[in-house]
Amino acid sequence: MSKVLLDNVSKVFLAETGPLQVLNNVTLSIAEGDFLCILGASGCGKSTLLNLVAGLEMPDHGTVLVNGKKVRGPGPDRVVMFQEAALFPWLNAVQNVAFGLKMAGVSEKERLERAMELLKLVKLTGFARSWIHELSGGMRQRVALAAALALNPEILLMDEPFAALDALTRDQLHVEIESIWEETGKTIIFVTHNVREAVRLGTRVLLMSPRQGCISREYPINLPRHRHLEDVDLVRIASIVRDDLQAEVERSGVGDV
Amino acid sequence: MEKLLKKNIRNSRLAFLQKSGARVIFFAVLLLIWQLLASAGFWSELLFPAPRQVLASLMQSFADGSMPQAVFASIKRLLVGYSISLLIGIPLGLLLGRIKLLDNTLGTLVLGLQALPSICWMPLAVLWFGLSEASMQFVVVMGAVMALILAVRDGVKNIPRLYIRASRVLGATGWKGYVYVILPASLPALLTGAKLGWSFAWRALMAAELIYVSAGLGSTLMMGRELHDMALVVATMLVIIVIGLLTDRLVFGTLEKSIHRRWGVSSH
Repeated sequence: MSKVLLDNVSKVFLAETGPLQVLNNVTLSIAEGDFLCILGASGCGKSTLLNLVAGLEMPDHGTVLVNGKKVRGPGPDRVVMFQEAALFPWLNAVQNVAFGLKMAGVSEKERLERAMELLKLVKLTGFARSWIHELSGGMRQRVALAAALALNPEILLMDEPFAALDALTRDQLHVEIESIWEETGKTIIFVTHNVREAVRLGTRVLLMSPRQGCISREYPINLPRHRHLEDVDLVRIASIVRDDLQAEVERSGVGDV
Repeated sequence: MEKLLKKNIRNSRLAFLQKSGARVIFFAVLLLIWQLLASAGFWSELLFPAPRQVLASLMQSFADGSMPQAVFASIKRLLVGYSISLLIGIPLGLLLGRIKLLDNTLGTLVLGLQALPSICWMPLAVLWFGLSEASMQFVVVMGAVMALILAVRDGVKNIPRLYIRASRVLGATGWKGYVYVILPASLPALLTGAKLGWSFAWRALMAAELIYVSAGLGSTLMMGRELHDMALVVATMLVIIVIGLLTDRLVFGTLEKSIHRRWGVSSH
């Protein structure tokens, strides 16, 4: 049984210029423990796909199943990490990490202990009491990652979480997310427009075509783990994917990568 | 390094001294002009009291207990009315910001009533509640509550969508969403509204007290007019200014600082 199953899913948005078919009969199966990277130009519907799995949006057609059950709304088994760290400025770092546990009714002592462990995991122990505006972009995403992990979700949904970071910080976070994935065996759906990032992280890379709202290609990535962005094999695969993506964009005549 | 730090501290101290020095000189000159105008004798002392007379009147009114009594009476009315405004305004603002239908109906009404100076409620209030504390408090509430509701509503509307989405993902739905996300997220706007509401309440109360004479600062002003005691009038005006400034600096200033510390200076 697949962990996540999208069955003939369609989604239409009403834009000012008229209805916009964002997803068009998408069928997709994601196995448990998969690290799936969804790649596409901006506006191709990849974030929408993520939001459907998260339960933040509902499909107009078809069904989204998680563990064989229809998604009817957000749940603690699926946590989203957004492009911009979704942290609350009225809480400090450790309180932000503990927020989901607080909502779940975990006692204060227990949730703070757990949050401190997670801050240690993302190497931010010294910043537990910092306010969010005092942290750098990379530190914020680390806190957001810890906050997402706090609920111990089976599925981690990541919406271009490292897009706004500098290359060095991004490299570090790639290593961290990879080791978390290896240790916990979580299912990760990772949306990005960065080809090499997708090949660096994914067990599978899906290419979404802009304006058609469907998955046009799929690439299994069988490179050994702990890859580097500069690995020759990785770069070779990435350049193939990139050419395909470029062709997709040109064919649809819109968008930029 | 330490040297640099010391120099920095010295510089900021110097800047502070300059700022406060300029202020002291400005007000000293103002006082001097006032005194000169008063001693020049263009106007009768009854119409234009000298600073010395105002000070004497101020001390006299504190010594005989009439001023503290008036201050206490006004502040009590204000606190009661303002508390009621907060209790009504904050929940209503939160709901208006989240529920479109309510905003389109009740929100429009509130917007309309906001345009009405609250002292215009006085005739109705007197008919409904008689010449009583209640009618004055009613005017205070009407003065503060509309501004509060609208400020909180706007604050809620301007909460970044990201916070709402994140809160749903993390399980803050229903009342939990209101208590743990929407309310704290709108705190900066709420504080702005509370401040605005406070100043409206203060103005409304003074107007009401001018009309309905009982104990209170507004009544003291009217009493000064009737007794041709301009020194008392000016002294009371000074007390009103000082109370306004103190609440603004001590209460709201402190709250604002704590919000700035958390949010960073660029609170939305």
